[in-house]
Amino acid sequence: MSVYSIFFYLIAAVMILSTALAVTRKNMVHAVLFLVISFLASALLFFLLGAPLLGILEVVIYAGAIMVLFLFVVMMIRIRAPEGSGFLLWHYMGAGGLSAVYVAACLLLIRHAGPGTGAAMAAAVAAPADFGQYLFERHWLGIEIVSLLLLVALIGVLHLGLSRAGRRSGKGGAH
Amino acid sequence: MIVPYTHVILLAALLFWAGMICTVLRRNLIMLLLGLEIMLNAAAVAFVGAGLHLQQIEGQAVALFILAVAAAEVSVGLALIVCIYRQTGTLDPECIESDACELE
Amino acid sequence: MPGASMISESWLWAGWAAAAAPFAAFGLILFLLRKRPGAAAAVSLAAVAISMVCALYLLICCVDTEVPLRSAVTWMISGDTVISAGIHLDGLSLLMLAVVCGICLLVQVYSLGYMAGDPGFARYFAFMSLFAGAMIFLVLAPTVVQLYIFWELVGLSSYLLIGFWFEKFSASRAGKKAFVMTRLGDVAFLAGLLLLLVRGGVMDIAALNSGAAGLSSGMITVSAVLIFGGVIGKSAQFPLMTWLPDAMEGPTPVSALLHSATMVAAGVFLVARLFPFFSQSDAAMVFLLAVGTVSMLMSATMAMVSRDIKQVWAYSTISQLGFMLMALAAGGYFAGVFHLVTHAGFKALLFLCAGMLIHALHSNDMFAVGQGGARGLKIPMLCMAVGAAALAGIWPFSGFASKEAVLATLANLENPAWLIAGLAGVFLTAYYTFRLVFILVFPAGQGQTRAKDPARGVGYAYNAMAWPVLLLAFATLVAGFLAAPVRHWLAVGGPAHEAVHGPAWLAPLSLGLVFAAIALAWAEFGRKNASRSGFVERVPVVAQLFARRWYLDDIWGWAVSRLLDRGAAEACRQSDNRVIDGFVHSLAGAAVASGRMLARGHRVMIQARLMIMFAVVFGLTCIMLIWG
Repeated sequence: MSVYSIFFYLIAAVMILSTALAVTRKNMVHAVLFLVISFLASALLFFLLGAPLLGILEVVIYAGAIMVLFLFVVMMIRIRAPEGSGFLLWHYMGAGGLSAVYVAACLLLIRHAGPGTGAAMAAAVAAPADFGQYLFERHWLGIEIVSLLLLVALIGVLHLGLSRAGRRSGKGGAH
Repeated sequence: MIVPYTHVILLAALLFWAGMICTVLRRNLIMLLLGLEIMLNAAAVAFVGAGLHLQQIEGQAVALFILAVAAAEVSVGLALIVCIYRQTGTLDPECIESDACELE
Repeated sequence: MPGASMISESWLWAGWAAAAAPFAAFGLILFLLRKRPGAAAAVSLAAVAISMVCALYLLICCVDTEVPLRSAVTWMISGDTVISAGIHLDGLSLLMLAVVCGICLLVQVYSLGYMAGDPGFARYFAFMSLFAGAMIFLVLAPTVVQLYIFWELVGLSSYLLIGFWFEKFSASRAGKKAFVMTRLGDVAFLAGLLLLLVRGGVMDIAALNSGAAGLSSGMITVSAVLIFGGVIGKSAQFPLMTWLPDAMEGPTPVSALLHSATMVAAGVFLVARLFPFFSQSDAAMVFLLAVGTVSMLMSATMAMVSRDIKQVWAYSTISQLGFMLMALAAGGYFAGVFHLVTHAGFKALLFLCAGMLIHALHSNDMFAVGQGGARGLKIPMLCMAVGAAALAGIWPFSGFASKEAVLATLANLENPAWLIAGLAGVFLTAYYTFRLVFILVFPAGQGQTRAKDPARGVGYAYNAMAWPVLLLAFATLVAGFLAAPVRHWLAVGGPAHEAVHGPAWLAPLSLGLVFAAIALAWAEFGRKNASRSGFVERVPVVAQLFARRWYLDDIWGWAVSRLLDRGAAEACRQSDNRVIDGFVHSLAGAAVASGRMLARGHRVMIQARLMIMFAVVFGLTCIMLIWG
């Protein structure tokens, strides 16, 4: 058991634990903060798995931007009534059934695993420069599509925000 | 030498399951979106692990796209949630069912 | 030799300084001195003076060099094609540099008086600096690409200056017309350049001239004719000639600059610059010869009936440019360039004199100016007479020497028609030049209106205008005797050329024609009880034809409105409305409709559906793994 694998299990434990806490918190601010820890841990995991650029991007985009966005929204929408807990029974049963199907799928997947999946992986690092070059050589179309997607998202968000502002001013400043 | 590929996949599967349960069982739209993020992140972990296993950089490229898609998704999703909240005053997914919270 | 290299180093520095100073002045005025007209004028003048000193220094030093000097940096590399930018000093470029700087300096000094008190004083000097800088870089360009870039910049700055009084509708219209018509030629120029680049891969002027591009003769002809398109636009030749007479809507010093050393000279300069390249193709040279001849004769006829002083000079510019192109096309490298140089001097002189008269008497109409007391303004009238004599080609003025050189070149052609056309041009030129002079000096109702106010116009502005005019008049007197040094200068790094001597009867014949034309003009406009209408005006149809510029404007207008407005633009609009907009509208409509449809299905508790979706996905995974 090398130092790497010790790191891996530590990180995995932190991730699972913090994600589980995040999922179960009543207070959304706490949930978001736990999730930040989980994402930071997954950034470390990316470093460990030889993807330093992705690790940095994970910190910047997931832990930085997305979670801060969540925090903003959570702080902005101060929920008066506590979250209505509890569904009907069939809902929980449905979730249980779904979990059963999921576990079944996972087990089948492990049974059908290809050769060499049980052996420890060799460490390798994709240098950011190589990664970038690969990305722009092989996936330039994908990059363009993703940038278009981000643009569309931007326009959509602007549209939603603007139409809301217009409606609000129409109602005479309900905010 | 790191860990076996199976362990990485197992970790991703657990994270995905947590995210799935979060989306399905929380009566809160923001938490629902948070669950989506967890699932996307789990997929990214799985892809990076697969990339290392197969010694291919391709997995990291897909993970990068997942990151970008997540950013786009979360911005639109949060804007929609804020929009819904302004109109209905609640974040309960149930409200969309009832006529009182019907969207225009 | 370290000494020699140091000297050439200092020459290159001087070349760079000459080119960069006006641009620096332009930037300085535009960004810092817009609100301070005095400082702006001082900066602009200082910059041109620096350029002038550098140009003179280079011109004097460069006589002894054998190889052209060049300082260039690589600007673009694309595959095997390397395009450099920098400066290229040889006889032709240095001669033009000196002419451009000299004329710019004098015109800017003159502008101090002419533009005094104008609200756009600082802006004016900024544009003048830009104009000068662009032209200097054009002249020094080592590659055709750099030449083309500054060629366009010259076009831009002349557009800005022609439309300088943009609040006047006719001025902004004239600026637009100049811009668009020269651009029409520039499209052809660019096409020619691209053809050269694609087929030859060589953009360097020296390489093109030495024939290193290895182009086939047909390709040379095609690209040369396309490049001539740019020359036709820039130098206002047939059929793109009508922008130049309208360009006088700008301030008169601008016209002086435009017509002598900068804008229109760029076209002729380009032909001279690439002269060895062009002369590889006989067909292209004949084409150029025909264009030059047609423009020369046509614009000379237009000048015969015009009543506007500046317009007459504008027509004469077209005519003289045609004359230069004829000389170059006939193989007279020296004759063409020498005529370009002398013409720059006397045409600037003529415009500046006209500007003084217009400034003092507030009219462009030659009859009104004559009656207003043009005789009383001694300096402009005398200098204008000098310029007119040079334009007509009377010994010993500068025009005579260069015109004889051109005629000698034409006389050496096999076809005598070109020489006859040239002589006809000489006759017409002398006629319309002295028609104008006689109208100014001997106005119809002379006596009663003469010298109403002798002191008028005398003052700071008048003096600032008078000095450049006097200097130019002096230059016009002596420039004719500088043929030998000019020939020597042009030999530095230029194509080989020897002196061409026409037949002995040529000079007396052309002088005789000139004096006959002057006598005719005297009989019609100068005599005590002359009719004061030209022989052309007795035939109204012809006079109308000439006055309407051979209906060229109407033809262009018809072409533009019919072909462009109604045809192409309408087709574009229709396709835009019907096809593109229709497509986008239907796309948007489809998106909205499908969104409505899907939204109806979504208005239920989402989490139950989410659960079903997940279950189905993983169930399918299981099925695929079991039976797949």
